[in-house]
Amino acid sequence: MNALSGMLAWIPVIEPMPGVERWWMLLVVPLSFGIALVYKALRMPKLEHVWRATGVMTVQILLGLFGLALAFLVLVQIVVPMLPAD
Amino acid sequence: MSESAASATRTTLNFRAAVLGWILPGLGHASLGDRRRGLLVGGGVLGLFLGGLLIGGLDVVDRREDHLWFLAQAGAGPVAWVADYANANLVASGRFGELLEAPHPNPMAPRGTVVEVSSLKSLAHPNEMGTLFAAMAGLMNVVAVLDAMSRRPAEAAS
Repeated sequence: MNALSGMLAWIPVIEPMPGVERWWMLLVVPLSFGIALVYKALRMPKLEHVWRATGVMTVQILLGLFGLALAFLVLVQIVVPMLPAD
Repeated sequence: MSESAASATRTTLNFRAAVLGWILPGLGHASLGDRRRGLLVGGGVLGLFLGGLLIGGLDVVDRREDHLWFLAQAGAGPVAWVADYANANLVASGRFGELLEAPHPNPMAPRGTVVEVSSLKSLAHPNEMGTLFAAMAGLMNVVAVLDAMSRRPAEAAS
């Protein structure tokens, strides 16, 4: 109910979107999609399969980010604690 | 390389398409006869920019407070200046919301110094993601402008 009333009171563009704090990480999906769309629109000689190529590139970006996150998780949580303290 | 081969590979820069592409994202490619490419570029760039404004509000485009971010956002064209002007006159001025007293952001400022901050100022993740969306829109449009500048009309139309 609070989330709904927050959305109803929201003035788009003037004030920040309510509730973003809870799911802000998901915003990387539209961000990747927008970047992929512009990139593919510029790089593809023919635009017949632009949406499919954009989807593929979006997934590639997301997988790359996920892989980086995983690598840093292993580094920070496993590798660094194994190092001698002194 | 023969003179004819050299002239064939030489790229003529189309500054008109570049300027049009900066004024309205995608217009540079559309002016070269490639309307579909222009629509996709314009939709992508403006979608990212407006997405940033929706997420973080007008506060994500602030020429005075976030000068380096604004350099990237300005690549999206006059829409960045319009957003900055609207932020300064609608949000930062207190016309919408209210002005609240807050500690001075500069830690070197004299103790007890306060500044007035809009109650609609976006903070933390909404501000960061909104700023990033708008900056990526500007940077991608710079790439689009450079592409439109070096693209030949015949190549664009084919």
